[in-house]
Amino acid sequence: MLNRPMTDTEYLELVHAEIDGELDGGQRSELARRVLADPAVRAVREDLRRLCAKLDAIEDVEAPAQLRTNILQALPVSATPRTRFHWPAPRWRYAALIAGVLGATALVYETVDGPGPGSAEVAGTIAARGAPRTLDTVALGAGPVAGRVSLYRDGGGLGVAFELAASAPVDVLIANDGHTIRVNGLGRTGAAKQRTTVALPGSGTDGSGVVELTLLMSGREVGRATLTVPAEH
Amino acid sequence: MREDDDPALVRRCRDGERSAFEQLVVRYQKPVYNAALRMLHDPQDAMDVAQTTFLKAFEHLADYDPSFKFYSWIYRIAVNESLNALGARKSLEAINGEEPDEAPGPDTQVEGEQTGRAIEDALMRITPELRSVVVLRHLMQLSYRDMSDILGLPEKTVKSRLHSARMALRQDLLRC
Repeated sequence: MLNRPMTDTEYLELVHAEIDGELDGGQRSELARRVLADPAVRAVREDLRRLCAKLDAIEDVEAPAQLRTNILQALPVSATPRTRFHWPAPRWRYAALIAGVLGATALVYETVDGPGPGSAEVAGTIAARGAPRTLDTVALGAGPVAGRVSLYRDGGGLGVAFELAASAPVDVLIANDGHTIRVNGLGRTGAAKQRTTVALPGSGTDGSGVVELTLLMSGREVGRATLTVPAEH
Repeated sequence: MREDDDPALVRRCRDGERSAFEQLVVRYQKPVYNAALRMLHDPQDAMDVAQTTFLKAFEHLADYDPSFKFYSWIYRIAVNESLNALGARKSLEAINGEEPDEAPGPDTQVEGEQTGRAIEDALMRITPELRSVVVLRHLMQLSYRDMSDILGLPEKTVKSRLHSARMALRQDLLRC
């Protein structure tokens, strides 16, 4: 208990504590005395109690029906939070073996008849290089992302080449052969179409099937594309 | 059937069980959406923020510390995403030369069922930082301890900020 008279601020704190149900017996008596004696404190107390009661009475609304669907559809197709950035150890060993054999000799190569990796960032495995061959290409232009995406094969397996332009950075989820990898920050604002290549993990020379791409901006899906490996490969 | 608790769902999700994350979405989509809605006062923006919140939660689930309550963690993401969205909205308004509508509408002066609307409008006229504590305390009915975890602030600061928010709302409504 205070030995001096309480200030207005301290009385105000008692009012808030009363609203929060945190007053002890002594504080409750002190506040009751002040409320009886001081109309200003009484008015503030009544205003705040009414206000808080009305705030507490604001009812929740139901989330839109499509919210859940949108969230689940936007999740990486085959990734899990734990494994998304961690490929199975044997694949790492395989990639490391290739990298060791190739050393630093295969980072840049000539494009023969299709898009090949440029000097931009390379994500995914460290893939062996050979003459790249374009297998499929998809043009993007109907949405907020423009450009094209190509699937190619070189000596190390499959890869995807992006040449994108967008009003904001684009993240891409690439699902193939049971893996999903994510590439962030493509098609940055103000930049010309940048070429970025991604070597796909676990895609040996005999790999086939489809590569599913999901394009995201600010975490939201803005487009999808499917690249197909032709049957003869 | 007994529902799994949050830590069990998070464990299952980390082990690759996507249906576990779906259960977390089902469990928390309503409070996350409502928190964003009260912060932003726009259903479409609230939906965008709710979606981003869950995607970020999924993306960073490996970083989640199970010693904290899962809902504190996901509400924290939701509040931060809402504040980011408000910042982006403010920048857009500045670019477009728009002034935020701070004048009370005619319906805010009507008693009765319009009072709730008046309070919601008043909420949008206080600062986002003050609004967030009101939303967490009065609309989500969270304790000061939970609010402290969510906002990353000492409980004393949270309490002081809430008191300021209530007084700001009172002053705003008195002016109307």
